[in-house]
Amino acid sequence: MLFNSLDFFIFLPVVFIIYWFFFSKHLKLQNIFILVASYLFYGMWDWRFLFLILASTTIDYMVGQYIYNSDSTSQRKRWLWVSVIFNIGLLGFFKYYNFFVDSWVDFISIFGYELKSSWTLQIILPVGISFYTFQTMSYSLDIYYKRLTPTKDFISFATFVSFFPQLVAGPIERASNLLSQITTKRTFKYSQCTEGLKLIIWGLFKKVVIADSIAPIVDDIFANYGSYPASTLILGVTLFSFQVYGDFSGYSDIAIGTAKLFGIELMSNFKFPSFSRNVAEYWQRWHVSLSTWFRHYVYIPLGGSRVSKLKSVRNICIIFLVSGFWHGANWTFIAWGAIHALLYIPVFLMGRNRIYMNNVVAENSWFPSFREILQILLTFSLVTFSRVFFRSESITDAFGFLKQIYTNFSFEIYEHPLGYRMIDYFILLGIFVLYEFRIRRDERSPFKFKSKLVRFVAYTLVILGMLLFFDDNIDRSFIYFQF
Amino acid sequence: MKKLILKSGLYVFLVLISLELLVRVFHLGKDTPTRILDEHKVEKWMPNQNGFSVTGNRRQNFSEYHINNSGYNSYREFNPTKNKIEVALVGDSFIEGFHQNYYNSIGKKIEKSIPEIEVYEYGYAGYDFADQLHLVNAYKEQFDAIDHIILGIKFSNDLTRGEYEVIMGRLALESPMNRLLKKSKLLVYCKSIGILDPPQRLMYKLINILKPAIKKQDVNKEEVLRIKNKKEKKYLANFNSLIEKYGFDKNRFTLLLDSRITSNLFLSYLDNNDFNYIDFSKHFEESDQATTLIYDRHWNNNGRALIAKAISEYLKELEIKK
Repeated sequence: MLFNSLDFFIFLPVVFIIYWFFFSKHLKLQNIFILVASYLFYGMWDWRFLFLILASTTIDYMVGQYIYNSDSTSQRKRWLWVSVIFNIGLLGFFKYYNFFVDSWVDFISIFGYELKSSWTLQIILPVGISFYTFQTMSYSLDIYYKRLTPTKDFISFATFVSFFPQLVAGPIERASNLLSQITTKRTFKYSQCTEGLKLIIWGLFKKVVIADSIAPIVDDIFANYGSYPASTLILGVTLFSFQVYGDFSGYSDIAIGTAKLFGIELMSNFKFPSFSRNVAEYWQRWHVSLSTWFRHYVYIPLGGSRVSKLKSVRNICIIFLVSGFWHGANWTFIAWGAIHALLYIPVFLMGRNRIYMNNVVAENSWFPSFREILQILLTFSLVTFSRVFFRSESITDAFGFLKQIYTNFSFEIYEHPLGYRMIDYFILLGIFVLYEFRIRRDERSPFKFKSKLVRFVAYTLVILGMLLFFDDNIDRSFIYFQF
Repeated sequence: MKKLILKSGLYVFLVLISLELLVRVFHLGKDTPTRILDEHKVEKWMPNQNGFSVTGNRRQNFSEYHINNSGYNSYREFNPTKNKIEVALVGDSFIEGFHQNYYNSIGKKIEKSIPEIEVYEYGYAGYDFADQLHLVNAYKEQFDAIDHIILGIKFSNDLTRGEYEVIMGRLALESPMNRLLKKSKLLVYCKSIGILDPPQRLMYKLINILKPAIKKQDVNKEEVLRIKNKKEKKYLANFNSLIEKYGFDKNRFTLLLDSRITSNLFLSYLDNNDFNYIDFSKHFEESDQATTLIYDRHWNNNGRALIAKAISEYLKELEIKK
């Protein structure tokens, strides 16, 4: 069930009304109902994979108890490995098995051995597996590091793992935030619900208007990169930057907004990364739940930045490569992670990786300074460059794309593959960037206007935008569902 | 909770009102003229209406129509006389031409090419060959005064029936309920951009939930060919049945068709029985520009110009004289 589908628009109000009308006074029933709704939500894709979620839930629920009750560190570690091996095993099988087999066959062929890739399997990637396995693992890890006491309530834990607003594409929650809310009785709050609805509207706008309307252009340019000049290819990858941002941050906004309707606050996942002044700031603002996951559970245990510079650089390389690999079983994602590591390391070595942690661009003014504009443009360009690898089907395609930019360095007016006016999209993106800049201080309040009238006009225009750019014929699934 | 429901309801209502207003101000939705069934049981537009036809979410195609006194989209009134040379173009939405400004129609383009003739465009969306011949027969006096009649025909669509009957399904669009719904420009706009398709599909699914699903059968190539041949023979029989009933003056009547999508059986039949036809396929094939609109398969300005060119060349060759 997609957030931007009719099914969801029927499902959500029905679940919302039943939840608050019938179960508002009983926590246990609230959680059982949310759990059933979440399984229904997920089962509408493929009910068979519900067993995987259930298995992951059961294993980590039990492992959590065992770790907590273990006396010795070695015993605790052993139980932690059970969780890690199980979850990584699930991921490894469903997501990476074919990749490893193919890569092995390719590797062997370098030495002249011809192996047939007959070991590869026809495996369907279960939606959201990368997200919920990381979430359950974080639970066991937090207990292992003694940051968390395990819950004895299986229903609450299962609800924490499968909470439908964030089940399929995050934000990847920590038990300390989400589980504690699930084990606490939720009461209806009008302001929280209206905030949620606003986020849902804004998320839908980003998905339907920004991401989906650009998608046919990006698809066309990347599919036919060999026949386009540099200007078109640069346009394509730039538009992809907007597409992937609109798509994933739109999804996250809808997820956070939907959770609010049920009295749950999820962590922010996007904090206007397009206005980042360096790559380090970008990673503090882009897919926050994943980057903090890697920071807490990989980077810091490896020593983080409290070790020698060389080891810190090694740690940075590890988290970016792993993060790239997390996105998909393809060398393109590893290359994408490697590029980000290369972009991050100089910032780290110059000691500028934490300077923008607590402020936003043009913090105390209406407009950014000239220096800030240059910084933003540079960061955006570098991140956009890396997306050539993120979007390409293969490493060969990514290098082919870059080679085409170099060899056919010319300008040509690009025409929309369906014949639509390109100017519409440029105007749209211009307005979108200006609006996002206007609201850059608070990612959870997209309609923060004092005047009720202005707020109403904003709602109307956002919905009008959805009508103006709606297209029933395009694939409306979310990009991050494939991860 | 009550406050949330009430306030949400109020907001939804106000947003809908605002959207209705915006759709009207920017004319995003198309105007829909009224259909009528006249005293001769001919379905056409109610005379003397004006409006704009809009296609695409963002008004990508915007054109003005004018329904004349006879109930057809044309800048001309149809008054055939003995001392002028008139040509009638009869056909479906392609001839009707809501996708173009009425003052830049195919007829107008032909008139520019041959100034001494007047072109009367009897186009109406959905007209098949039965509709066309019934119209010519119902207004026999008027059409007898017209010097030449060109009938647009698409073999796969326009010969599915061998007898004329009023199509009630089309007229149902004029039901009081539909007319009321059409008053909301927002609703018309949403329908035209396909935003109402998912709920409609869902409704259809729910209505048919108890009906057993029709299993798709694999049909082999021979079977497909057999069905195709059978269909073609039926269409040809329909053609004969209609011309037998209404008559077909081979000296005055000409068919307008695209041989690329017309069956060889039908083309041979026309050739062997001295039916005149204008085949515009060559003109379209030779064009290096698109001939249809982005949003639908109707002819764009280039397509219309090519059609006008094909007809003009034919008429010049014919040398119609009074």
